[in-house]
Amino acid sequence: MKRFVAPLIAIASVALLVAGCSTTSTGSSDGKPVAGGTLVYATGDAEPTCLDPHVGGNYPQALVATQYLESLVSKNKAGDIIPWLATKWSESADGLSWDFTLRTGVKFTDGTPFEADAVAANVAHLQDPATASSTGYLALQKVTGVTAVDRHTARITLSSPDSALLDSLSQPWLAIESPTALKRSQAVNCESPVGTGPFVVTKWTHQQSISLVRNEGYTSPPADAAHTGAAYLKAIDWRFLPDSVSRYAALTAGTVDVIDNVQPDTLVAAKKSKDLVALDAPRPGASNRIELNSSIAPFDDARVREAFIRSANVNDAVTSLFFGTATRSYSALSSVEKLGVSEPKLFGYDQKAAATLLDAAGWGTKNADGYRTKNGTVLELDFPVSTNQSIPAEQSLFEQLQATSKQAGFKVNLHPLDLSSWYGALGKNQYNLVSAPYTKVGPDVLRILFDSAGTKPAPSGYFANHSQVKDPALDALLEKAAQTSDQTERASLYKKAQEIVLGGFYILPLYDQQNHFLRRSVVSGLRAMPTVSTPTMYDAWLSR
Amino acid sequence: MALPVAAAPPVRRGPLPWLLLRLGGVVFVLWAVATVTFFAIRLIPGDPAEAVLGGPGSQASAAALAQVRADYGLDLPLPLQYLHYLGRLAAGDLGRSYSLREPVGAVIGQNLGGTLLLALLSLLTAAVIALALAAWSTRGGRWASAVTWVLEVVSAALPHFWLAISLILLFSTTLGWLPPVSVPGPAGLVLPVLTLAIPLAGFLGQVMRESLLDALGSPFVLAARARGESEAGVFWRHALRHAAIPAIGLAGWAFGALISGAVVVETIFARPGIGRSLLSAVQLRDVPLVIGVVLVVALGYMLVTTLTDLADRLIDPRPAPTTAHRGRS
Repeated sequence: MKRFVAPLIAIASVALLVAGCSTTSTGSSDGKPVAGGTLVYATGDAEPTCLDPHVGGNYPQALVATQYLESLVSKNKAGDIIPWLATKWSESADGLSWDFTLRTGVKFTDGTPFEADAVAANVAHLQDPATASSTGYLALQKVTGVTAVDRHTARITLSSPDSALLDSLSQPWLAIESPTALKRSQAVNCESPVGTGPFVVTKWTHQQSISLVRNEGYTSPPADAAHTGAAYLKAIDWRFLPDSVSRYAALTAGTVDVIDNVQPDTLVAAKKSKDLVALDAPRPGASNRIELNSSIAPFDDARVREAFIRSANVNDAVTSLFFGTATRSYSALSSVEKLGVSEPKLFGYDQKAAATLLDAAGWGTKNADGYRTKNGTVLELDFPVSTNQSIPAEQSLFEQLQATSKQAGFKVNLHPLDLSSWYGALGKNQYNLVSAPYTKVGPDVLRILFDSAGTKPAPSGYFANHSQVKDPALDALLEKAAQTSDQTERASLYKKAQEIVLGGFYILPLYDQQNHFLRRSVVSGLRAMPTVSTPTMYDAWLSR
Repeated sequence: MALPVAAAPPVRRGPLPWLLLRLGGVVFVLWAVATVTFFAIRLIPGDPAEAVLGGPGSQASAAALAQVRADYGLDLPLPLQYLHYLGRLAAGDLGRSYSLREPVGAVIGQNLGGTLLLALLSLLTAAVIALALAAWSTRGGRWASAVTWVLEVVSAALPHFWLAISLILLFSTTLGWLPPVSVPGPAGLVLPVLTLAIPLAGFLGQVMRESLLDALGSPFVLAARARGESEAGVFWRHALRHAAIPAIGLAGWAFGALISGAVVVETIFARPGIGRSLLSAVQLRDVPLVIGVVLVVALGYMLVTTLTDLADRLIDPRPAPTTAHRGRS
């Protein structure tokens, strides 16, 4: 993220002059922001089914909602919670209620004033089953209600202390919408949600684009924004460009100004162009990792789990397939999580150790194909791969790991599946290995991924604890951490919990959840929100 | 190559029974298509309710899922869902899309135009290219014939996604002549149309060249030349009509090929259309939208084959058994 924006613009401007280009640049080479213009953003993420991120609640919704909705709090680059729609907050002594002092003079773009009853209406909306919220609903599980202490103070009451409350509230899936607008039907609200953000949704042309225009009366930037008042850009044209080759071609041709979901090979190609600048914004929450299903054979034996991890040559695969665009992770958490614990020595590549472990675990014999066997059973691992969630480089990485673990005698069966079929395979517990991203702000993601409660499938068959870790000591640590507001103690509890997860060989960490953007050098001031790493256009401006 | 429609039926039925039979056939095919699609998409693993709630990264709560299932009737037994669906379909109601939260009819209405325009322009472009290749091949001698043969075979074998990306890299990234993704206006249509037209032109060209050669070597062309008809006249008035027949016979197939190609082309060039709708609908298990699109495509296919039957009768210069004087050659 430490890009030297101003010098690049200067270089680009000089290059344009030298080339004799006749474009009359309204931008200034001294880096002073210019107001006006329409920025074209091309997203490779799926098109949301609803523009209100309360409904469902996934990353594509968060990406676009960042432009028109705002949350009570945000995070700065250092990972500390900072004011946004709330200016101050305090936790009661028993941890069962929080008072939020709200920013004054803020209006939703439909004219409704932002006051304490708006916070109450939003929490009620998220908790209403008719909204069908998933991400926001889960984040508010401990919240019993919201009362308006006065017009500018909202009190959130809890069933038990929640140290993750501020992290949760900072996420775009819990953004505050106009209570007046929320009274409309869901179909209408999905098309044109109303918030307090720097832009306003004016039109959503399905399968094509969303039109956003500047909110002229904007007053509520987060505490870490670079300026105050209305956004610089007059409008944003938010386009859906699912194909990665044409998305990049559109960027190089200047048809679009910013693209997301940039693939490793594209990043390498873009480095050669002085017109393009990369923005790397790893997502918070869990690292990308392979989860080992400890509930069924052969991974119910910790030695076999360790043997698999030792036999997988992740480092070479990451180097050869990601061309230096991804850094190897040895943690259950993303590198942006301050409380993440990294244990490189647990994940060293060592075929000899793998062989010894498998011999000890009773998989001493090999069949004609070189795969290990035990009582006539082949050491087989089923690995359903979601082609929607794993980028091509990651799918190739799994193939390379398949080859290196074969040397140890593992027969890994990769099953590329579309998302729905992949959910189906998980629900039936028909997997030994799986890789699923999980984006959430804060270390509380560990409770979702490793608490034994997460092994019970929902009615749909979906569950988050894919490693199927059932460890009462770990559950107790995670629950205690979730209730502890003392930062030092909380950090120590999460450290112990991560040591159990890593030391138990339940996961094989790969790298941070990749989140690369490319912008043309005419775009300045673009940054990713330190919450869930969605780009915000509020400080962005165009020099063309 | 044998001509696909060699002769009209020997006995002409009255127009009314023929129409009823044809209509009955259409209804039967639509019912079969709807049924097969309904069960095929529901029998592959995956829960539409889960996908409705956003899929990756969002754990749907039990309450949310129950709500969605109730809203969309997904909590009923599958045969019952099928009967309900069929009942609504019979009443002309295609249902509501799970993923777009709009009536399927409206979604198709918004997107059909874009796909039809793309398909029509591609068909015309393909016909022009095929005709040019066939004409050059038959009149340009041995060398031209060999070159066009290679061109036709190669272009007919090109996969759409590869061709699309190659065209983008050549015309947008390298030359900078055309926009790499669909933008409003004619410039945005050029690459998508070429992507669909080039492979189709390969097929059509092969067919047209053979029948052109047949026609040019046949007695009626000799007769026309003997009458003093010019080379151009022979080509345009006589041989071409002959060559067009098998190509028109392929129109039904071409329609299918264009629609399946549209799925790829609309995704790569980010053009709105029913191909792109179909792809995302299948991925999301959006049953009503999948069936809606498939029904419309099936209907279109049947319409095109009916029209080509008619066109065959109009263009075919040879005398039909019951109308002896239609042809003039």
